[in-house]
Amino acid sequence: MLKLIGSRLVLVIPQLLIVGLLVFSLLYLVPGSAAALILGDAANPEAIKEVEAQLGLDKPFHEQLVAWFGGAVQGDLGDSYLYKRPVLDLVLEKLPATLSLVGGGLIVAMLVGIGLGLLAGVNARRLADRAVTGFSAFMQSVPEFWIGLLLILFFVIQLGWFPVRAWTPPTSDPGAWLRGLFLPALALGTGASALIARQTRTAVAEALASRYADTLTAAGVPRWKIVFKYALKNAMIPVLAASALAVGILFGTSLVMERVFAFPGLGSLLLSSVISKDLPVVQGAALIVCLIVIAVNLLVDIGYGLLNPRARPQ
Amino acid sequence: MTSTPDPKTVAVATAPREGGSEAVRVLKRLARKPLAIVGLVWLLVVVFAAINADWLAPFDPTENNFTLEGLLQGPTAEHPLGTDENGRDVLSRLLFGARIALAVGFGSVLVAMLIGVPIGLLLGYRGGWTDRIGTRFVDIIDALPGMLVAFAVVAILGRGLPSIMLAIGLIFSMNFARMARAITLAERSKLYVDAAKVSGIRESTILFRQVLPNLAGPLVIQGAILTGAAIIIESALSFLGIGLESSVPSWGGQLGAAVTKMLVQPFMVFPPGVTIMLTVLAFNLLGDSVSEALHGETRKRFKRVKRESAAAPAPADAGNVLEIRDVTVELRSRDDTVELVKHASLTVGRGEIVALLGESGSGKSTLAKAVLGLLAPGIGVASGSILLDGRDIAGMPEKELRAVRGTELAAVFQDPMAALSPVHTIGTQLTDVIRAHSKLSRRQARARAAELLDKVGVRDAANRLDDYPHQFSGGMAQRVAIAIALSSNPKLVIADEATSALDVTTQAQVLDLLVALRDEFGMGILLITHDLGVVAEVADRAAVMNAGEIVEVSADATSLFDAPQHPYTKKLLAARSRPPRHKTAKPSRDGRRENAPEES
Repeated sequence: MLKLIGSRLVLVIPQLLIVGLLVFSLLYLVPGSAAALILGDAANPEAIKEVEAQLGLDKPFHEQLVAWFGGAVQGDLGDSYLYKRPVLDLVLEKLPATLSLVGGGLIVAMLVGIGLGLLAGVNARRLADRAVTGFSAFMQSVPEFWIGLLLILFFVIQLGWFPVRAWTPPTSDPGAWLRGLFLPALALGTGASALIARQTRTAVAEALASRYADTLTAAGVPRWKIVFKYALKNAMIPVLAASALAVGILFGTSLVMERVFAFPGLGSLLLSSVISKDLPVVQGAALIVCLIVIAVNLLVDIGYGLLNPRARPQ
Repeated sequence: MTSTPDPKTVAVATAPREGGSEAVRVLKRLARKPLAIVGLVWLLVVVFAAINADWLAPFDPTENNFTLEGLLQGPTAEHPLGTDENGRDVLSRLLFGARIALAVGFGSVLVAMLIGVPIGLLLGYRGGWTDRIGTRFVDIIDALPGMLVAFAVVAILGRGLPSIMLAIGLIFSMNFARMARAITLAERSKLYVDAAKVSGIRESTILFRQVLPNLAGPLVIQGAILTGAAIIIESALSFLGIGLESSVPSWGGQLGAAVTKMLVQPFMVFPPGVTIMLTVLAFNLLGDSVSEALHGETRKRFKRVKRESAAAPAPADAGNVLEIRDVTVELRSRDDTVELVKHASLTVGRGEIVALLGESGSGKSTLAKAVLGLLAPGIGVASGSILLDGRDIAGMPEKELRAVRGTELAAVFQDPMAALSPVHTIGTQLTDVIRAHSKLSRRQARARAAELLDKVGVRDAANRLDDYPHQFSGGMAQRVAIAIALSSNPKLVIADEATSALDVTTQAQVLDLLVALRDEFGMGILLITHDLGVVAEVADRAAVMNAGEIVEVSADATSLFDAPQHPYTKKLLAARSRPPRHKTAKPSRDGRRENAPEES
């Protein structure tokens, strides 16, 4: 077990370095000097020089890179140009809303996706299969944020079943938090659920058509046990991989969904900082999202090893 | 290159490519898919709208009308789809929006191909460390949320059509890189690229001349699907207000405006949303259909095979554990019916080992599956009866059949590794089988499992229960599979090519185990094989199957070898390239034992 985690952790290191390098390079790729962005267009050249020295922007690239990495490791992601506050504080403030949304979306995607996929896989080539396959092809063509709009139109405006203000921090009222989260998570999860449903369908159908399913059936093991114990566990390996892929997609889509449901998450922070070229915030938020996605992938990798005895280091 | 082409370059020039007739066949297959036609028609409508927006649109898409009755109208005769927050005609904006959508869709996919394909070609062609490091890099980039990449690109380059195309192109490029790499790797391993290499054509020439034509099909399919996805991303960015300028009539921008005015004019959400959905759906349908047409997949619809209602079968001979009487197995699809097994009749006595011999495709495994009730959907027993211990089990409902399986009937299949679930321990699988037929507790079932493993010759049985199948050798795994089959003392065991995947020594050991178990428990064994040696080794009687028919049933195994009756059997015996275990003497009952391997 420890060996497994260790071997996967080693693989994550180059990933972290590359992501860090990409995020840091953002600063260089953006046209115009950061100091000019802070001081505004009217600033005189001396003042700009001074600010650049303050920020360490006059040092060579590699020194800046090392300094940035050193800071990032200790949780110092610099200060926002716009808000004049540490980036990490700003990001951490917005994180609960984003994590709630992505977590909720993932739960919806996995529940709906695995449920539908199982239904289709067990009834492979029959009506239920065709219905699920058609449904998931359809769902992959609908923009999630549009589904969100339709849900609001129907359930909030027409029926009034859900509050207009979707976000409540879980610390202030867990019930309201869950209630507000329901529609956004549902809208967010649909696209990813189609992806997971397709993967589950194929994996379950394959498992049920396998020789081991035949062996167990021929030996008289009941069908439900073959489906839920044997086929499902075998199918979980590719399904887990699809779910990891879904997490990346969910993060991206959540940035859009936040606007539909007026969630105070990373999306709104990123949006305002992209528009105002508040680069440290863009960097910081991007880095945190990447770290979370990498962490989820690491967990999935470990789960993969637990599920699949052949993937364990011997 | 000289004027006299050397033979190798000629070979290169005639490397397999998709010829004209193949293209026609693909198109014909495509034309038979109604969903592909629907998708294509909608896309043609979108393209038509984009080209002719100038005269199709009833209004100027940028013409504002800030009068009270001009703003945020619902559908009217003048504005069939209403007006937006600036009083602009929604229909006109949708028509002009088609230009934006297609430009963004095709443009960003083109960018993605231009970035991704060369990377993939390089990785696939170079292989080795370049490939290993490069692929890892591609994976890392691809794991980043695409929306984040788009945000970064917009932060760097600002808003506008070029930066949107670049942003979406970057997101999709790794997808194309991975695809191009896989196809290049596959092509590289083919002979004709090597031949070209030998003849001294430049590497880049080989890449572009040989690999690109093979890449074309998948590129088009993936391109179509990603064009749809690009339209969604553009609409999301415009919806957020960091895509195109708000005056540009993009579909996503229209949705973005609809959000702010949703309480006043909810109708605004529908026209752009439905248009985006239909267009993306059309690209997906077309991509999927082309993919199916290229791979020649036609989804066959199978029909359930129902057995002709027959009179109750005559009672079976008490000495026979299995009587197959005049069984026909059919495969039924919507278009036609194929007889896989034709009027087969065969019996297995109690404690008797009967071999069913035939080449692959002869229908012998289908017959075995018919007895086990494991036929695939669309295949079934059309007529005849299968009497197991006197009871007709052909067409028996699944529920009743389950009680029969394991207790009276069991099976051992080919390839023991595939016959065991790779992610469950041997102990779990054995105890589940044991508990399916008994009321033993988990612990008692485990003890019984260890006993069974010991019986089939797995050493250190109790400790091996927690091992996974991949920790067993092929022969040992087949012993485990036999233990599963034996767990409830069945009256009949069907061994379907049970020794074919094993090496000769292991094969002999497993056959000996089956004979020993038969001697101890007295169950009948139907041994399905293509191996004449196996028949000579252990069978009491043998039947020969060819093209779905049982052509000969011998009175005993030796008579089949000594005096084959049917011409097919004679051919089968003559075609045997290596006389399995009796090179010199003609096989006889005694000779068989003499020539058997020493360990028996």
